[in-house]
Amino acid sequence: MSSLLSIKNLGVNFDTPRGSLEAVRGVDIEIPAGTSVGVVGESGSGKTVMCRAAMGLLQGSNVQRTGTVVFDGNELTAMTKEQVRDLFGSGMAMIFQDPMTALNPVRRIGSQISEGLRVRLGMSKKDALVRSKELLELVRIPNPTAVLKSFPYQLSGGMRQRVMIAIAIACNPKLLFADEPTTALDVTVQAQILQLLRELREDLKMSMVLVTHDLGVVAGNTDYVAVMYAGEVVEYAPTTKLFADMRMPYTEALLESIPKIDHKSGTRLSVIAGRLPNPTDRGVGCGFAPRCKYAQEKCHTQHPELQKDPDGHLYRCWFPIGEAL
Amino acid sequence: MLKISFWLKRIAQLLIVLLLVTFGVSLLLRLIPVDLATVLLPVGTENERDILRAELGFDKGPIGYYLQWLGNFVQGDFGKIYFSGGTEDVSAHLADAMPRSLLLMAYTQVIAIAIAVPLGVVSAYRAGRRADKIISNTLFTLSSVPNFAIALLLVIFVGVKFAWLPTLGYVPLSDGVWEHLKHMIMPVISLSLGLIATYTRLLRADMIAALREDYVTMAASKGLSDQRILWRHVLRPSSLTLLTSAALSMGGLIGGAIVIESLFATYGVGFEVFAAIAGRQYVALQSTVAVIALFYVFFNLVVDIASGFVDPRTRDRRVNA
Amino acid sequence: MRKFTKPTWLAIGWLSLMMFFAIFGWVLPFKSWNFVYEDDLEVGLFSNGHILGTDSNGYDLLASIIAGTRMSIFIAIAAVGLGGLIGSVLGITAAYVRGKVDTVMVTIFNVGLSVPNLVLALALVSVLATNVDINQAVPTWRRVMVLIMSLTIVLIPILGRIARGATLSWTGREFVTAARSMGMRDRKIITKHIVPNVLPALIAVAFLAVGVVIIAEASLSILGVGIPDGASWGGMIARGRNDLEYAPHVLYVPIAFLALTVISTNHLGDVVRAQLDSREAKV
Repeated sequence: MSSLLSIKNLGVNFDTPRGSLEAVRGVDIEIPAGTSVGVVGESGSGKTVMCRAAMGLLQGSNVQRTGTVVFDGNELTAMTKEQVRDLFGSGMAMIFQDPMTALNPVRRIGSQISEGLRVRLGMSKKDALVRSKELLELVRIPNPTAVLKSFPYQLSGGMRQRVMIAIAIACNPKLLFADEPTTALDVTVQAQILQLLRELREDLKMSMVLVTHDLGVVAGNTDYVAVMYAGEVVEYAPTTKLFADMRMPYTEALLESIPKIDHKSGTRLSVIAGRLPNPTDRGVGCGFAPRCKYAQEKCHTQHPELQKDPDGHLYRCWFPIGEAL
Repeated sequence: MLKISFWLKRIAQLLIVLLLVTFGVSLLLRLIPVDLATVLLPVGTENERDILRAELGFDKGPIGYYLQWLGNFVQGDFGKIYFSGGTEDVSAHLADAMPRSLLLMAYTQVIAIAIAVPLGVVSAYRAGRRADKIISNTLFTLSSVPNFAIALLLVIFVGVKFAWLPTLGYVPLSDGVWEHLKHMIMPVISLSLGLIATYTRLLRADMIAALREDYVTMAASKGLSDQRILWRHVLRPSSLTLLTSAALSMGGLIGGAIVIESLFATYGVGFEVFAAIAGRQYVALQSTVAVIALFYVFFNLVVDIASGFVDPRTRDRRVNA
Repeated sequence: MRKFTKPTWLAIGWLSLMMFFAIFGWVLPFKSWNFVYEDDLEVGLFSNGHILGTDSNGYDLLASIIAGTRMSIFIAIAAVGLGGLIGSVLGITAAYVRGKVDTVMVTIFNVGLSVPNLVLALALVSVLATNVDINQAVPTWRRVMVLIMSLTIVLIPILGRIARGATLSWTGREFVTAARSMGMRDRKIITKHIVPNVLPALIAVAFLAVGVVIIAEASLSILGVGIPDGASWGGMIARGRNDLEYAPHVLYVPIAFLALTVISTNHLGDVVRAQLDSREAKV
């Protein structure tokens, strides 16, 4: 199967006053066309940085990106900023965690949606506004004519997220990066937005990278899952396979920290103790070892390589779950 | 409904400030340990002075005097300037001085903003790099040089050594646009350099903060060019502080440009203040200061209205305020 | 504490030199600043015996500068000290007490700010320096006092407003609430918790205010209402205007001293503020 997006050995370093901060290292991810891939990890694991680096949206003189990113036959990492920009909108698009901060506070919704249409597709102002209204209908916003004339602060959180989705899908992108699209929303609204994304993906034949810290969100909405920890992909498998047969202790710990409906009330949720390793000064061993209940001596002294099961299931662990010791 | 009450409250606050300023000035005048009527009419008879005292309210207490002045002021009677040959109306002086000050202020602001905005945008976009450092350091140095020093250096070089521009006087627009502008160039440069530095600095700081916002990344992910993002997405939400500072400095430029107005003999409102003080024309001083404060208050109100247009969020915040 | 950069050292060095002139200027081997060198009128920079030249009166410019430094620096420090003290007491009290006191104080500050600095200073000077007998000259010491008083009054609303703003951002913090809940007395909370936190911001502004006062004093002198004999930088500039055409160095010298001093104080104000910002960022 051909990949729409292929990330190879992606690394991101930030130069900070306290030394180089390695936010992402050695990430390999394939996004097959027409699929949805979840990227899961706790905050600070590098998932957002990874997505922004893949699109080339990290700016500033203190950012260094290494590795290659190929999108739809274009090697983004070898192209100029302007060339990459031409792929935005109709090729790749992104939605963000907090629609309040990701929408420009001083511009009307209409101008924010139609802007991409005019710049990328060369539409006239009038046509772009007509199309914007259709897009608002597509993301099921009631009374789209009034919303076009509103400012972001006048809408509810769910509405704002729908507007942001409308902006992102305006030019029919082949790939949508959804960076924690539901984290800032109420639970009921979360389900609606995920439902909307699912439908849009089918209707528009769009691939998606769904970034979240919530394995529950990944479960019904993705074909593959990449679990990230401390800037690395630590497990990668088809979603159903991952839940049926997870190999990585970190993934297991992540799953155990989600409340389940069949938990007896009063059951204690397990939390992952400890913290992410310091990104400016990693130890030699596995980054998760200090927090891992299965950790052995080797885990503390040697950094695990990515292992591959015959069925393609990838993981980064010396002592994976389900393996006889 | 709520909006109306906000504006009423705001206007009331400004009116109180205005009343207190004018009352303060009139109290200050009564503190002068000399007989004001004697100062104004040094050669007149005691009888003439008594008439003047009654006319101006000097015979009343401070509050009575103030109320009398205020009554005249709101009816457009700003008092008179007294000299040995007779009197002149303060309002006539102000009518002559006001357009000079207003034009000086307008040119200064237009030049300052027209230069500061691109400089601010560039230095925010290139923050920490060479272009930013050059702009910031140059402007910092220029802003520390007082405007009269710049004025004097301009006079020495542009005015005297090379004699490119006239060093003194004011020519009204009606007597020729070019002549008018020639007389304005040096005063405007002297006044605007400091403002350019201030405005650039404010805009740079706000834009750097805005550039870190998600909506900038969002705009970039739409495939917009950096230019478009800077000018269309970042500039407007970042310009509120600049706007406030500009509007408030307008009040200062009307009446506050005393030294520049006297160095270049532009003779605007600031010079009227100076002339009133030098000539001990206390009634004229009181009315002129009141007019200056009136402008300050007016521009304050303009900021309030304009900020609603620049950042629509402030409009609704006010409802709750 | 970060290491100082080169410009910062230059600024500190320059201001130290100015302080030396102001305090120990009298030990330097100069004749009085208004001693007339009749044979050396309007000699240029770096002339023999007159390193900064002389003006058309035959005054040695270096001697004038040193005498002027004493006056300008004295007025600036006195006005900023007094204005800063009164302004911060008013501002901190207003922000701490809130309510009616705050409203009144803010209104008073606004009243002061609604008149341009120089207009206010000019009006105050002219009123305060008026003699009962208007034809009798006002002695220099009284002029100086009047100047300091007027500039102090001009500074109070400016510094007071900043003190108020800085205080407001601290009164809401948990440790203040905690101190209150433990029954600490207000005066103690202010001196123990508020003042130490507000002080750095005030010091940063005080540096800027020194520049403002030096410029204001010079402006008043140019307008002819400063120190009458002209023993200040502004007075030198005012006198130098007459020599503008033929001996411009008479103007360059005081302008350069004034500008360098203001650049230095502004720079140090900036450095203090930058330190403050990085400290805030760490909190």
